[in-house]
Amino acid sequence: MTPEVERPFPPGDYPVVVVGSGPGGIQAAYSLSRLGIEHAVISADPSPGGMFRRFPFFQRLLSWTKPHVLYDQRTREYEWYDWNSLIAVEPENRAVMPGLMDGTSEFPSRPEMELGIRTFAERTGVRVRHDTRWEGTARDGDRFVLHTSDGDYRAQAVIFAVGVAEPWMPETPGHQHVAHYVDTRAPESYEGKRLFIIGKQNSGFELASGLLHQASRIILASPRPATLSVNTHSLAGVRARYVQPWEDSNLGGGVFILNASIERVDRHGSSLTVHTRRSDNGDPFPAEVDEVIAATGFQCPLLDLPDLGVNVFGQSRLPTMTNHFESVGAPGIYFAGTIGQGVAGLKKYGIPANSGAVHGARYNARLMVQRLVEARFGVKRERPPVKTAEVVDLLLNEATTAPELWNQKSYLARAVTRDDDGTIRDDGIVSLADFVDSAGPDAVAITVETDDTGDIHPAVYVRRHGRVDSDARLDSSPLHDYRTTGHRKALQALVAPILT
Amino acid sequence: MALTTDEKMAWLEHVELFQGLPPDALRRVAERSGEIEFPAAHHIVTQGIIGNGLYIVIAGRARVVKGDQVAAELGPGEFFGELSVIDQMPRLASVIAQEPTTCLALASWDLIAEIERDPKLALNLLRALALRLRAARDEHRH
Amino acid sequence: MNSEEVVDELASLSLFADLQRPQLRAVAHIFSEESFPPGQRILRQGFQGSGFYVILEGDVTVRIDGEDRAKLSKGDFFGEMSLLLGEPPVADVVAIGELHVLHLAGPDLKGFLERYPPVMFRMLQSVARRLRNANRLRS
Repeated sequence: MTPEVERPFPPGDYPVVVVGSGPGGIQAAYSLSRLGIEHAVISADPSPGGMFRRFPFFQRLLSWTKPHVLYDQRTREYEWYDWNSLIAVEPENRAVMPGLMDGTSEFPSRPEMELGIRTFAERTGVRVRHDTRWEGTARDGDRFVLHTSDGDYRAQAVIFAVGVAEPWMPETPGHQHVAHYVDTRAPESYEGKRLFIIGKQNSGFELASGLLHQASRIILASPRPATLSVNTHSLAGVRARYVQPWEDSNLGGGVFILNASIERVDRHGSSLTVHTRRSDNGDPFPAEVDEVIAATGFQCPLLDLPDLGVNVFGQSRLPTMTNHFESVGAPGIYFAGTIGQGVAGLKKYGIPANSGAVHGARYNARLMVQRLVEARFGVKRERPPVKTAEVVDLLLNEATTAPELWNQKSYLARAVTRDDDGTIRDDGIVSLADFVDSAGPDAVAITVETDDTGDIHPAVYVRRHGRVDSDARLDSSPLHDYRTTGHRKALQALVAPILT
Repeated sequence: MALTTDEKMAWLEHVELFQGLPPDALRRVAERSGEIEFPAAHHIVTQGIIGNGLYIVIAGRARVVKGDQVAAELGPGEFFGELSVIDQMPRLASVIAQEPTTCLALASWDLIAEIERDPKLALNLLRALALRLRAARDEHRH
Repeated sequence: MNSEEVVDELASLSLFADLQRPQLRAVAHIFSEESFPPGQRILRQGFQGSGFYVILEGDVTVRIDGEDRAKLSKGDFFGEMSLLLGEPPVADVVAIGELHVLHLAGPDLKGFLERYPPVMFRMLQSVARRLRNANRLRS
């Protein structure tokens, strides 16, 4: 462990405390430092990286960093093509990942990703007090008190970036015979085994892909059918990389995909029998196997936060949050990182945003911190004036190139507001859900959306008389460039009522 | 008129409620449906009386009357009476033949049996009811 | 709430009252659980891409042109009308307090109803009931 004198942020009073040193915590801390807000960052881990210190087990990440695109790596536009780097304003701190990856793939390995988060923290000066475990929480007047293994921290606001990585498994009878995904061993130890994997989401398919070579038979089971991301036009569903077991199952090669619920697991000597009930006809279906692994998911380790009013929902026990990632039940408690997936946004056609992944969560963290410091420390964000004649081009350019809009479609938007004094100001990147449901002065927001046919197009939301009444689509474009005469005309017509 | 089953099927095919039904389902509905002729001014269904079936106009013209208000005019291809099939409650309106009118009639029990076999038919019926609900609410707003 | 608890919740809702336990488990996986802060619109008048929702906890108000018309609570569902008619919603549905719902993607509703006829019947009964009420209001 680092000598005490070198460990930053000793227990005490801070305006803000960040808990967690994964992508969410590091990104939030960076934003706080650039806004000049004094804060502490604590983490139970010995080093940065969060979930990427352990996961994924097999294969590379599912998110890409493309080294060669039409934009220089040091630009904002490049961020869209690099889903793995944390975001910075300074050019020298941008695009950390392409510099670290070994060039054999556009998908980083787990160690490369872990190194990327640590490198970003080092380069940007984000420090963390490691080996400091958050153990409990209390209120003291208008302050929160964090009890940690090193002592107490007091803060006006706390940002929890603790991930959704606490293993969760249903307490089915016989669950003691079932290992969780997190306890998966080296592939060689599964040679020749008959495996039963509970869960048909990415972690289940990741295991099946990773152990396909060793296992003599793999059954993947869960009550509902698996979906493929290529069909959902989003990151929801099994990603392309893990589809091998699916293809294997279709062709009858030794992988079996079952829609059934697991009722019981029994041990008979050295084998296990998994008693399932089929979803299609309700018939019992027992399977004799050597090992059962539950890829059934994870929960958010919120400890005693529910006692402070943080309400949670869902199997993952995510907190209920505002559109700026503040707890609804306990204002002053904020969340960063993958926990942000609990803010659904508009979710048109059921298509989710990328808030659970780094490339979505990094923008959410920046937005959350901006709103936090505005609300609690009076730091007003810049809203530069925009000339009326420039509004349309600004918005169309954003729709064409803004990484926030492309990585968080129909979730983040670029907005321009007409203040009461008649000045038109650039509001920067905003939460689309917050924009469409808040009253306020006349304004327009543009984002990029996908519909149920897979068509990608800009969408425009105009607020007039305090209300956003409809969503207008602009035409899609084969190369996604919306800076055309036709688009200008269409957008001009939409914004004219509020600009004149 | 004495339509054959095939002729009845030809009629039903064009009725929105039966769109998209597989041929064997359409045949079953056709076989179960009875042809009834109503003279002019005759009540085909009467407001306030518990209904026992669904009707499809195949010839003539009928008027939907709620209380003393004329709600709609119905011609060939249009249907009515489906609500009482679902909830076995009194008819919301009377339907009165304006001229000699022929209908295909489907008894509630036959329609329900078919709905239970055919999710597509149930979905069409759901959509038909939703349309009527939307129309009823729009009228209420004006 | 773990998945068995969600299944228990579903079993208590009249919309799913006729489903067997294994079917309820499958349904629990088909829907996604979402949570919204007070004042958030869940359905938005005039917007494309709306979905189908069943309320697990909390209340919503159905608002048309700024006027609150109805209140829905645990066990109630909404969003099906616009999906069945292929049009954007004609009303806003707004969370009154913290709201916890099950959400089914709009494009998936028809397939879901076709696969689970008992749910469709319940919905038929609900729409029929509402149709009778709408008529009663007028006379």
